[in-house]
Order: sequence, then C-alpha cells, then structure tokens
Amino acid sequence: MLKHLLYLCLGAGLLACSSVSHIYSSAEKVEVNDAYSQSTKIDSIVQPYRAELAAEMQEVIAQAEHDFFKDRPNGALNNWAADAALNSVQKESDEALFCLLNVGGLRNPISKGDVTLGDIYKLMPFDNEVVIVELKWERLQAIQEYLIVRGGEPVAGVQLVNQELIVNSLKAQEYVDEDGILIPVPNPKTFKVVTSDYLMNGGDNMTFFADPVNVQYTGNLLRDVFIEQAKQQQVLIWTDEKRIQL
Amino acid sequence: MDRRKFIRNTALVSGGTIVAPSLIAQKEKWNPKNSLTILHTNDTHSNIDPFPETHSKYPGKGGVARRYEIIQKIRAEEENVLLLDAGDIFQGTPYFNRYGGVLEMRLMSELGYDAATMGNHDFDAGVEGFVKARSHAKFPFLCSNYDFSNTLIEGHTQESLVLSKGNIKVGLFGVGVELKGLVPDDKYKETRYLDPVDIANDRARDLKAQGCDLIICLSHLGYEYGSSKVSDRMLANKTRNIHLIIGGHTHTFLDRPTEEKNLDGDTVLINQVGWAGINVGRVDFRFDKKAFAKKEVLIVE
Repeated sequence: MLKHLLYLCLGAGLLACSSVSHIYSSAEKVEVNDAYSQSTKIDSIVQPYRAELAAEMQEVIAQAEHDFFKDRPNGALNNWAADAALNSVQKESDEALFCLLNVGGLRNPISKGDVTLGDIYKLMPFDNEVVIVELKWERLQAIQEYLIVRGGEPVAGVQLVNQELIVNSLKAQEYVDEDGILIPVPNPKTFKVVTSDYLMNGGDNMTFFADPVNVQYTGNLLRDVFIEQAKQQQVLIWTDEKRIQL
Repeated sequence: MDRRKFIRNTALVSGGTIVAPSLIAQKEKWNPKNSLTILHTNDTHSNIDPFPETHSKYPGKGGVARRYEIIQKIRAEEENVLLLDAGDIFQGTPYFNRYGGVLEMRLMSELGYDAATMGNHDFDAGVEGFVKARSHAKFPFLCSNYDFSNTLIEGHTQESLVLSKGNIKVGLFGVGVELKGLVPDDKYKETRYLDPVDIANDRARDLKAQGCDLIICLSHLGYEYGSSKVSDRMLANKTRNIHLIIGGHTHTFLDRPTEEKNLDGDTVLINQVGWAGINVGRVDFRFDKKAFAKKEVLIVE
C-alpha cells in the first residue's frame, strides 16, 4: 500500500495530475477454434439454410462425356473454361477479342458423368468477376511472352503458333486479293481481353494488365458464367484443341 | 510491483507522460462502470460455418456458432461490452450467393452486434440487395463518407452513433473505401464517395463536442498501401480525436493493435483481425476520468 502511495505521489508530481485524464488499453486476439463449443442456439438458425444449400449443390446441371482436366500447355478444362468466359460476353464481330484465364484458378477437375452445381463451385470457389480489359496493341507481345514462359494458360479466341500469338477474329478478316495474295488486316490500336478481376489486378503476375485503356465490369462472377454455360450446353463441350503450341 | 516492472511499464507510456503503474496494475479493483471491452470482426465474408478440416490454411477455424460462445463468455465476465464489425459481411460462400446476405444479418443480430460499417462487398447485391438484407439487421450501419441521398440506401445507414456504457460515453462513426473501380457502377449506383479524412475529422470533432470519452472509427479503408491511397494508418496520422480505428478490407492479421500518432501527437490504436471470422479482436479500455481535465492520454499496457 505504502509503495502504491509512493508511486501515486511520484506520478502526481510528474503530471500535475488533475489536468490529465487517462485511458488505459490492452488488447488480445481471440482465435475462433475448437477450444470453444458451438452454440446450438446459433446452429439451429443456420441448419435449415445449410440443409437446403447442401441439397441444391447436389443438383445435376449438365452431363460430361469425358473427364475435364486442366493441364499445360493445353487441357480440356482450360478450353472449356476459357470458351465459357468468352461466350458469356457480348461480342462485336470486328473486335480483337479473346479470353485469358489462369491454370491456377481452376481448382477442381470435372469428372465424367453428372455435373452438379457443387462441382462448379469446387472448380471456381472464388468470387472473381468477369471483366473485359482493353489494352494497347503493343501489350499483345507481353501476353505472348507470358504464355511462352508459363508454358500455357487457358485461352479462347487466340492461338500461340510458332511463338506468335494470333487473334482468331483478326485472322478471319484476312482475305485473298485478285492476284491470290493473302492480305492481312492492319493491326488495330487496341485489343480486348476477357479475364477475371483477380488477374486484371495483377494476379499470377499478369502485370501486362496494368494501366489498361479501358475496363468493362460485367457484374457476372466467373462461377455464375460457368454455371450458365453448363446449363446451356447440357452436355459439356469437350475439345482437346491445341491452342498453345510451344 | 518490483522496480524493473515499473520501469518497463513507464517506458511504454504513450505521449511521453509518466504515470504511476499502480493505476494500471489494479485491474481487479477498477470500477467496472469505468471499463469497456470492444470486440470486433472484419471481412467475415459470409463464412458462417467453420472452414472444413481439410482446409489448407485454416482447418476447422472460424464459425459463427463458436464466435457467439466466445462473445457470450466475455459478456459474462465484463460489464460493458461492445461488438462491432468493419464491413465485408457479404460474399465468400454460397450462403451469400443463395440467400443474398439475409442469413449473415440475422446471425449478426442474434450475436448482438452494436454497429457495423459497409465494405465494398456489401454492395455486391446492389443497393437494392443491401436494403433487402439490411431489413433483417437489428443493429445500425455507420457510413459517414458515403452520400446515399440519390440511392435506395438513403435512410438505412447513419453517420454516427453515441452509446453510453456504464460511466463511459462512446462515439462511433464509419468510413468506407472508394467504390469506383472496385465495385461495378450499377451495384452502387449514385452513391457518392466523400473524402474519408475530412469526414473523419468532422465526425470525431462532433462526437468529442458531444462529450464522448472514447471515439471509435469503423473503417473499411484498408490497413496500409505502398501508395498515396488513403489507409487506416494515414487516417490515424491525419486526424484528431479518434482513439481506436477498427479496420478491414486488406484482410490484415494483426497480433496486437498498431500505435500511430495523430495530428496532435496523441496515440491512436488501429486493429484488424484478418478475415472470415477466424479471430475476434478484443481491446479493453479503463478510464481514469479527472474532473476539469485539460487533456487525456491513451496508455497502452
């Protein structure tokens, strides 16, 4: 007690005590783990939602006649996912438009047989949004180099052949003139890439998306696009097209 | 108390003032009416169930039913407890995609949240979706730097809140991140983003003028950036009168609150506890109020 009094006096002397109020603080982080029980009261609120969701996740939304695996440089799952994303956006015929996703973002294969809603959630558990990024034409070079270094990523509407990235919609516009000579269309100033907001923001080191000319947010999650496409296709379109030829 | 501990404690005193440690040490004798416990979460992202046991990073962690038990245990031990959330309640599990945030709001109400602020993902169901889900919330949303006047959200949030707990008057307000580029335009419609630093200074000054003993900012700005983008650390440095910033957005795991200095050189605490409801943050305050005090000093024990 005496000691405490002494410290109090010491404190008072140093502070001119009465003019200062004090707020003492201490803090800790409490981890939510199995050291704590689960409240049955709370769990009973969640249970009907949980049960309904679990049932819905088992809903069969399409069929798969093959296994869909992701791989490098190509995979049937790569092709399906990139096609689905590209198909989901409104396309103008004369636009240099293609899709680029990442192998890392495809989290689970689709197995032959029933395809459930839960399968698509496992394939794409992240809430990434489909975006359309417009870039200066010169950036195509950086994407080409990236695909070569990475040994392939899921693409649609574009091919890598002989170390060169060719945009399919532009190739279609090439024409043969009277003398039988193939006339290529001139390179446009910009091109558009359908991708996810995660990749656009530099995910998986896709730094070429920095400082885009324009960004169009579609408001659609990649997962929802996959679900929609699967439902439309009924039987998932399987292709082993070699879009990346290294 | 031995002398070494005394020296250590005094060395930790913020603001350069030295205080008798006896005031700090006697927690059990402190009048509970002058004590306040803040519990907080951020970026829970619709993580209602614990992560599965097979999860690569957080196996079996989190879960609202467990969070409730933790909160109830602390409420049984402490007289004055506030439970707060710093936004991004929505988006992250099928519960949100399927039920639009209704379950999240119902559960937070059941857990007895006192207030929350809106994160960018809380616009993911659009302004309409937020209002719909919000009708299930029995706690206020504090949004001070979003002008909702031309949107459906108008009238469903408030700029600040004053709560009396024991002898303590607590002032709260909330600031959110710039939505442009982060949220599709048609989700937030005509919501106007106002400068969070200006607004925070205004709200904190008003709350102080109303006699608040503790001023808390719920923030969804993000902890810190390597750029000029406004963050919690920047907010702390550029404002006055705020004691505690409860942050979110950057999913930052802090083991203990960060101490920053405000424009007056006073200590501001910033805390953030990761995401997904893996942790509950806890900050305890004890108030030693002096009549006619010219100044108050925040001391971190």
